[in-house]
Amino acid sequence: MQHPDITALSITLQLALTSTLLLILLGTPIAWWLARSTSVLKTLIEPIIALPIVLPPTVLGFYLLLAFAPDGIIGYWWLLATDKGLAFTFSALVIGSIIYSLPFYVQPLQVAFETIEQSLLDAAATLGATPLDRFRSVVVPLSSRGFITAICLAFAHTIGEFGIVLMIGGNIPGETRVLSIALFDHVESLEYAQAHVLALGLLAFSFVLLMLVYSLNRRWQMRLASRN
Amino acid sequence: MQIHAKIHLSRASGFTLDIELIVKPTGVTALYGPSGSGKSTVLRLLAGLERTKPGDQVLIRSNENIWQSPTHFEPVHLRNLGYVFQQPQLFPHLSVRGNLEYAIHRRRGERRLDLQQVSDWLGIRHLLNASTTSLSGGEAQRVAIARVLLSGAQCLLMDEPLGSIDYAARLQILPYIDQLRRLLDIPIVYVSHALDEITYLADDVYILDKGRVTARGSVFDLASSLEVNSREGDAVAAVVEGLVDAHDPAYGLSRLRLGDQSIHVSLCRQQPGTRIRLRIPARDVSLTLQAPAQTSILNVLNGVVSEIEPITDAPGLLVKVQVGQQFILSRITRKSSEQLALNPGKPVFIQIKTVALLNEPTQQVLPTP
Repeated sequence: MQHPDITALSITLQLALTSTLLLILLGTPIAWWLARSTSVLKTLIEPIIALPIVLPPTVLGFYLLLAFAPDGIIGYWWLLATDKGLAFTFSALVIGSIIYSLPFYVQPLQVAFETIEQSLLDAAATLGATPLDRFRSVVVPLSSRGFITAICLAFAHTIGEFGIVLMIGGNIPGETRVLSIALFDHVESLEYAQAHVLALGLLAFSFVLLMLVYSLNRRWQMRLASRN
Repeated sequence: MQIHAKIHLSRASGFTLDIELIVKPTGVTALYGPSGSGKSTVLRLLAGLERTKPGDQVLIRSNENIWQSPTHFEPVHLRNLGYVFQQPQLFPHLSVRGNLEYAIHRRRGERRLDLQQVSDWLGIRHLLNASTTSLSGGEAQRVAIARVLLSGAQCLLMDEPLGSIDYAARLQILPYIDQLRRLLDIPIVYVSHALDEITYLADDVYILDKGRVTARGSVFDLASSLEVNSREGDAVAAVVEGLVDAHDPAYGLSRLRLGDQSIHVSLCRQQPGTRIRLRIPARDVSLTLQAPAQTSILNVLNGVVSEIEPITDAPGLLVKVQVGQQFILSRITRKSSEQLALNPGKPVFIQIKTVALLNEPTQQVLPTP
């Protein structure tokens, strides 16, 4: 049988990958809309998306738990559609992670999108590029730095998440038991040696990822500087 | 492609636009006016780049297609036109070649121009592998024009394309644009507040002021009124078109036909039979009642006084003299006018001291597409 910590690692990576992929699909249009829209709705949506940054994860977890319950607004429909409960499942963790990591994905991307001049997109349009084509051929390459930062932050943030996971996922081995929970369990049982392995691993991972992001950013700036 | 636009809109800022515009299928239609006159807004509306608000009345038709009406809006990318902005708007993440290929991959319709050909035309072949950020303003704008040509546009909209370029580079690019006009059979709408560009390039001119058309007509008809409007007393000049007749390299002169008369200019490169534009400053034109004899002035034409008008902001009179179907302007004093008893209908001799050729070709002779 697999070591429980390996199982937790595998669950953690699955969760981070799934959440990040879904965030790219979901968060990119949101970031684009926030960067371009002048709608009054923006003043409402922007703080809602930013909430997880300041809110204690347990607060968010608590409300999500209520929503995921079989009689909650999301759990009820989930039960109807899949015939299974939502709370304390891997799917619940994915949904929770997406909501929790949304600002970490959306904000760097929004900043990157905002620096792209409308006139450049106008030029692409007059050359015959459709809106989707303009996004793919002009916006994406010009904001690749924003994409890298956003993806790294969202991924790392999902890996390190604790409070919300505990609230909506519980601690089910092979389903919702992620690294940060496993670490907590080891400390609770005074297994400091195992705790050290996990803690050091997570620390090293976070450090390496951030170093990667910063060095990519620096190389980007140097490339821009050498061009001008 | 022929474009017909009727635009009526007003903004909260107090800006109003009330214009009807017809862009003929060939030649250059110019929108000329001071900044704030609405000329760029008209161009952006034609392209579909300017957002309209409820209550705006905008009707734009191209041939039989409706581009914009109260119930329909054809998106920019489906309008089949090319737009040259004041700034080149090259994609910074692509090389010069990458920018040109961007247009080729999205080419609309059948254009026979290829990348090498267009690069040669615009003199950017040596820049193809360069980064767009290493280009000078003039080079970047030439790349932008090449990119538009390769996109297979059926109409070229140019929004002060030389506005952000220094004087020397402007003089270098104007002939390129002029040759596009000759080589391509598509309409060009050219927006500018620079009179020399308009007289150089335009066929039809709309003069705009505060969102209204104050005058429209052929560039030759409007040249005099254009110049007076510019309030540059010394720069008043007529623009006429001549037909290259013969070259005389021994004297360094070329002979042009102007109606049934001849005029000599400094030796030009054009083939006999080519039409070229001449700019004749009014202050270099004097009038006499008798044919001048034994004069150093080479160009003496006969014509008929058509109009006499005072010059705004300056002493003296502007006399408009008809020569064949065209007009030459002469700036004279009130005293001379009285001594010669000038009146509309009076035949006069016109002595022209200087003539500037407007359409000097670029260094390389362009191949026909």
